[in-house]
Amino acid sequence: MDWIERYLQAVKFALPKSQQDDITRELRDSILSQIDERESALGRALTEDEQLELLKKMGSPTQLASRYSPARALIGSAILPIYWKVLKAALMIAVVVVAATCIAIAAAGRPLRDSLHALLNYPNLAITVFAWVTLAFAALEFFGAKFCVSDRWDPRQLPPLTKERRPPSRAELITQLLIQTVFAVWWLTGLHDQRLIFGPGIQFLHFGPIWLSLFPLFLVAAIVDISFTGAMLFNPQWNRGRRISRVIMSALGLVILLILLQTPELLSPAHPETQAQSQVNAINSALHLGLLVVAIINVINLAVAATKLVVAKVGGARRVAAGS
Amino acid sequence: MNSEVLENLRLELRRGCLILAVLAELRTERYGYTLRKALSEQGMEIDEGTLYPLLRRLESQGLLISEWREEDKRNKRFYRLSPEGKVILKQLSAEWKGINASLDGIL
Repeated sequence: MDWIERYLQAVKFALPKSQQDDITRELRDSILSQIDERESALGRALTEDEQLELLKKMGSPTQLASRYSPARALIGSAILPIYWKVLKAALMIAVVVVAATCIAIAAAGRPLRDSLHALLNYPNLAITVFAWVTLAFAALEFFGAKFCVSDRWDPRQLPPLTKERRPPSRAELITQLLIQTVFAVWWLTGLHDQRLIFGPGIQFLHFGPIWLSLFPLFLVAAIVDISFTGAMLFNPQWNRGRRISRVIMSALGLVILLILLQTPELLSPAHPETQAQSQVNAINSALHLGLLVVAIINVINLAVAATKLVVAKVGGARRVAAGS
Repeated sequence: MNSEVLENLRLELRRGCLILAVLAELRTERYGYTLRKALSEQGMEIDEGTLYPLLRRLESQGLLISEWREEDKRNKRFYRLSPEGKVILKQLSAEWKGINASLDGIL
């Protein structure tokens, strides 16, 4: 039964979203009806090999799903599902490249407008990527190259069933990636040009020197955060990646918080000679208290994230050992 | 090369015939699996990858009506000819008989 669900899962993946449930329901019934009939003819349950043989006869999941697509002239239905996936992957790689470029520009201490310029260049890059991918697949179609999977595909290579828990959608991940990138660019640029963070308040307040010393750690945190989100774009069901990312980000956050907690002068007045010094001291004390609370929450988060990671790993190892 | 050409031509020839056969079989309400079996028993083999998308297409063209119902403790999608489908089937049958008579003479 597991192989049937895995087969249907693979078919569903290549179908248009609006028809996924309806089509797989119908296919499930068809497969089960065939199995019922064969089992009553044989007087016994079908073996695993017999079930796999039946699935093999139905054709590869991609090929079966492609038959539900309307015919297209430029790119045929047999390679259309693969085309969509390659195009999506290429566009996502372009998003990650643009995000990385923005971070690199901000990390180099260049003005914010340079990062924005790189970000606004994405539509041009996306059009170029779309053109090249489409051209490559149209050529493949035109010259008659085919993905001959019908005879060679092996049901045993179907991916395992995934848990029902809904993974984040790609749209959510792209939004998350954009927010992370914008925030990282703003923060990293702002450490060099504090007007971006303090606004008009720069006339009264500055960051203490410690913040700029922590720049490399902030940079690493931004890169790690964005990289994991970028990786999740390719496989939204990569739960282990999400857990690892939480552990690393919590650990990095804790290191930063501990350093900040040991620094008396988190903020300094723009004009130390004035009476503002005493007010800034009060703000620093309040900030230390706030950071202490955040650090305690972070320790709890780190412990929870690390425990989940270990539990998931042990559970995975057990399933492998049990052969499921 | 020759067998590939033959296979393509055979598929092309069968395509129209299959539509006619499916429409004719669905004068009686059936679900996918029993329809496939009925066709097969009369010498019209058709695989799932061809039949189910075809049923979906004919339904979207308004020639078939379908509904989900439980039978033998399982949900099945039952198909039958729509009133429009009945008219089309009648016209296609007449067309088929005409072509068949002509081909008999030609061949």
